[in-house]
Amino acid sequence: MFLTRSEYDRGVNTFSPEGRLFQVEYAIEAIKLGSTTVGIRTPTGVVLGVEKRVQSPLLESSSIEKIMEIDTHLGCAMSGLTADARTMIDHARVTSQNHAFTFDEKIKVESVTQAVCDLALRFGESMENEDAMMSRPFGVALLIAGIDELGPQLYHTDPSGTFVKYEAKAIGSGSEAAQAELQDKYHKSMEIKDAQILTLRVLKQVMEEKLDQHNVQLAQVTVERGFEILSDAQLKEAIDAM
Amino acid sequence: MADGHQHPIEHRFNPYAENGGTVLAIAGADFAVIAGDTRQTEGYSIQTRYAPKVFKLTDRAVLAVNGFQADCSEFVKRVMQRIEWYRHAHSKQMPLKAIARMIQTMLYGKRFFPYYTYNILGGIEEDGTGAVYSFDPVGSYEREACRAAGAASSLIQPFLDNQIYFKNQTPAPGAAPFVPGNLPIDVVLPIVIDSFTSATERHIEVGDGLEMFVVVAKGRDVSQLASLNAEEIPATNPGEERVFIVRRELKKD
Amino acid sequence: MSIMDYNGGSVLAMKGKNCVAIASDLRLGNQAMTVAMNFEKVFPVTDCLYLGLAGLASDVITLRERFRYRVNMYTIKEERQIEPATFAQLVSSTLYEKRFGPYFVEPVIAGISKKTGEPFIAATDVIGCLNFAKDFVVCGTASDKLFGVAEGLWEPDLEPEDLFETISQTLMNAVDRDAFSGWGAIVHVITPEKVITRTLKARMD
Repeated sequence: MFLTRSEYDRGVNTFSPEGRLFQVEYAIEAIKLGSTTVGIRTPTGVVLGVEKRVQSPLLESSSIEKIMEIDTHLGCAMSGLTADARTMIDHARVTSQNHAFTFDEKIKVESVTQAVCDLALRFGESMENEDAMMSRPFGVALLIAGIDELGPQLYHTDPSGTFVKYEAKAIGSGSEAAQAELQDKYHKSMEIKDAQILTLRVLKQVMEEKLDQHNVQLAQVTVERGFEILSDAQLKEAIDAM
Repeated sequence: MADGHQHPIEHRFNPYAENGGTVLAIAGADFAVIAGDTRQTEGYSIQTRYAPKVFKLTDRAVLAVNGFQADCSEFVKRVMQRIEWYRHAHSKQMPLKAIARMIQTMLYGKRFFPYYTYNILGGIEEDGTGAVYSFDPVGSYEREACRAAGAASSLIQPFLDNQIYFKNQTPAPGAAPFVPGNLPIDVVLPIVIDSFTSATERHIEVGDGLEMFVVVAKGRDVSQLASLNAEEIPATNPGEERVFIVRRELKKD
Repeated sequence: MSIMDYNGGSVLAMKGKNCVAIASDLRLGNQAMTVAMNFEKVFPVTDCLYLGLAGLASDVITLRERFRYRVNMYTIKEERQIEPATFAQLVSSTLYEKRFGPYFVEPVIAGISKKTGEPFIAATDVIGCLNFAKDFVVCGTASDKLFGVAEGLWEPDLEPEDLFETISQTLMNAVDRDAFSGWGAIVHVITPEKVITRTLKARMD
């Protein structure tokens, strides 16, 4: 692919004669450099897990933030250029709060996902009278987890603005191996505890370092408690149970 | 000006009018009645004897709107448009409480040039109970068991306080306590009709026709409505909530 | 704000079968401030004729005294009790005397004719235009509410006890929706034999 670079690589919103948008495709490639991120849906909740790459022993691993809350019933894990995710999550949070303000109800998981994806293709050259647009596609993929009237759900979004619903999904550098493992081990009627353990096992398999409570993070959205990032104690308990 | 008798007269456009009429709504355990008369007036003139004030929004929500007719029809159009957009964006019918909150934001959005409208929203809540929401023109709202609004609201509301909320009434010794919002439909509809005939008798802006919308919860028995000459408005989602309309004549003098 | 609403208060009268009832609230206010909760607005004229006065409190008292004087003069001169219909004319003409500087009071009259035994109710505006209603008459700051409830609850030929219930419910539910009326209520049911007077246990807020 990189050998066939052409004129069409430069314009961020120019189709190639084959009908491709190279910059968007490269952005999707960028995700594959990101840390591995896993999401698993169960009948009672959704589990999100991320690998935190601690590049230096001096780095405070608690400052790496790859799972974020969107609303009390919605969470999000990311892989890729995590700085780009801030814009998207900001938008998701505003959308969710606005919905609650205007309609006195929790927004559906699909609706926030759609709202985030609406942002994805707003890049390119801005016109004279337009506010500055984004210069390039987002370089990040998200796993959006949440619970609404349709039950627990997990969505995957990519830089093209496409979103798909999954029962279990892995993204990032180790995603191929991780996805294969998920396909093998996932079953529909998992308990939330089983999902935590499977998430950790999958991450452990694809991580270079030895998995411990400093280089992974788990979060979940459950019917009873909504979104929560697991505390150090809860995380340790899950790792020990693995 | 020159002769000292002429004064400069300020001519000012008044963007509002008051078009009379009255609306009310009463909630039951698993139904809601939303009613309005059909007379439209300006001053002492009758502009029309048939101007509907009650509108079906969804299979489970009906809106009664009263005040300045131009603002009323504009507002109802906007509400209906927002409900349609919501259906496209979220692939579901907007729940009643969501419509109520949306109406509040729409009304408050024009806080400094308000829609001169008094709104009463009635229908079936997500949990299957009958509900009534009433609004002031700038969006203050509340869920209630009943409410009257419009020209004859001051005539009807104390009557409803008595008949629906059982105000100033005490149960007979040993009898069960009164619970507002639990009256059966064959008690509620005559109260609605009596309210409007009373208002017609004593208020010049009320009369001509009466339209009562009855929203019934999913699976509820509707045999009582058949004897009242109720006409069903076809539902968009058959098998869910149903909306009926009962029409009556009111005095035209 | 109208001078008619300065002190607040409401009066109502209803016809029944061989009986009439007249009732008032007990509030005396100074605009929004309540000053007294024992201000009766219904006064006996004869043993079977009552007069209710709602409006400016000073005029209520003034007119009460003027009518007492004029009824006494009538009784002495004519050597008989005044009939309700005659009293209504007296009220009307007394008010019309002040056509261009009226008393700010709307009177309500309720009684039973000694001669015929017929129940009688009437009301006038501030300048004495009579309204002989066959069902009920209202006046005061809660008049619109009273009209609405009375129109819904009243029916013809009520017996004294039912008439009492109807007028009490009408008054209480109407004044409960009026900020200028309420704070207790009093009802008189007039029958050919006797007058039943009851103070109601009403909302005090």
